[in-house]
Amino acid sequence: MKKGLEFKGLKFLYIVIIAYIVLFFIEQKNALLSLQKALDIFYQLLPIFLFIILIMTLINYFLRPKQIIKHFGKESGAKGVIYALLAGIISHGPMYAWYGMIQELREQGAKDSLLITFFYARAIKIPMLPFMLGIFGLAFTLILSFYILLFAVIQGVVMDWLEE
Amino acid sequence: MKQEQPITIKNAIKKAIMNLITMMPMLLGVIGLIGIMQTYITPDMLSKLFGYGVVADIGTGTLMGAISAGNPAVSYIIAEELLTQGVTLYAVTAFILAWVTLGIVQLPAETSVFGLRFTLYKNILTLLSTMLVAYFTVITLQVFSS
Repeated sequence: MKKGLEFKGLKFLYIVIIAYIVLFFIEQKNALLSLQKALDIFYQLLPIFLFIILIMTLINYFLRPKQIIKHFGKESGAKGVIYALLAGIISHGPMYAWYGMIQELREQGAKDSLLITFFYARAIKIPMLPFMLGIFGLAFTLILSFYILLFAVIQGVVMDWLEE
Repeated sequence: MKQEQPITIKNAIKKAIMNLITMMPMLLGVIGLIGIMQTYITPDMLSKLFGYGVVADIGTGTLMGAISAGNPAVSYIIAEELLTQGVTLYAVTAFILAWVTLGIVQLPAETSVFGLRFTLYKNILTLLSTMLVAYFTVITLQVFSS
């Protein structure tokens, strides 16, 4: 039998839809406002979805399990950590938009510790840096970025230790 | 041993699109929930929760950042407002960092994709790191400023 599409988070979506329906009957104004905010977020995410499809296509095409294991696998060493940090820094959009791709990497043999490092390094948002600099200044931005990268690596080390 | 099938660019695109489509219910659920959160959690509500010492402020900042969601630019705007209202830099740093690293609304989706064990480890490590990064960032900044 051919396997159909396996949607993720259907139950979660149903719960949110029910929450909106309940909210609509209790506070119609806020329900509509919430829906408007959600739609605004969705429209903002559309270009990011295209970017993610592009990245995932490139990964599917160029990165084979052997190559991924080489960079993110058990023998990847320090090079894997550097790849994870760089990937985290250059990735865009909200974390949940990347879940599918990350799970795919896991299934292809990527190390959990490097994925943890990747996730934390995502806290550095390159497009947002000018904004952060404007509000918090150069010293704060540099120090915060340094500690984010340091703790991204530390988290990976701890995750490795937890998995042993 | 099974031979790895060569993949064409067409298949790679199809696989990427299908992968995103399967994630859509989860993404729409998170987006819907963020809409509700943004309606009910205002910056004014957040500012009343700070001002109880470094550790408590870092904890509150982390928690507030974790339950909030949206574009990081929004967190910077709120952070600026919080600083203006006298909230400590410890709390504000924890807040903006937790905003992008932790996501309570995403937890159900995260668990359904990665499983409980990975999600638990990831979020505990992220929570501790966020609090420590906030503390060390402000301490280091003070050392350099003095």
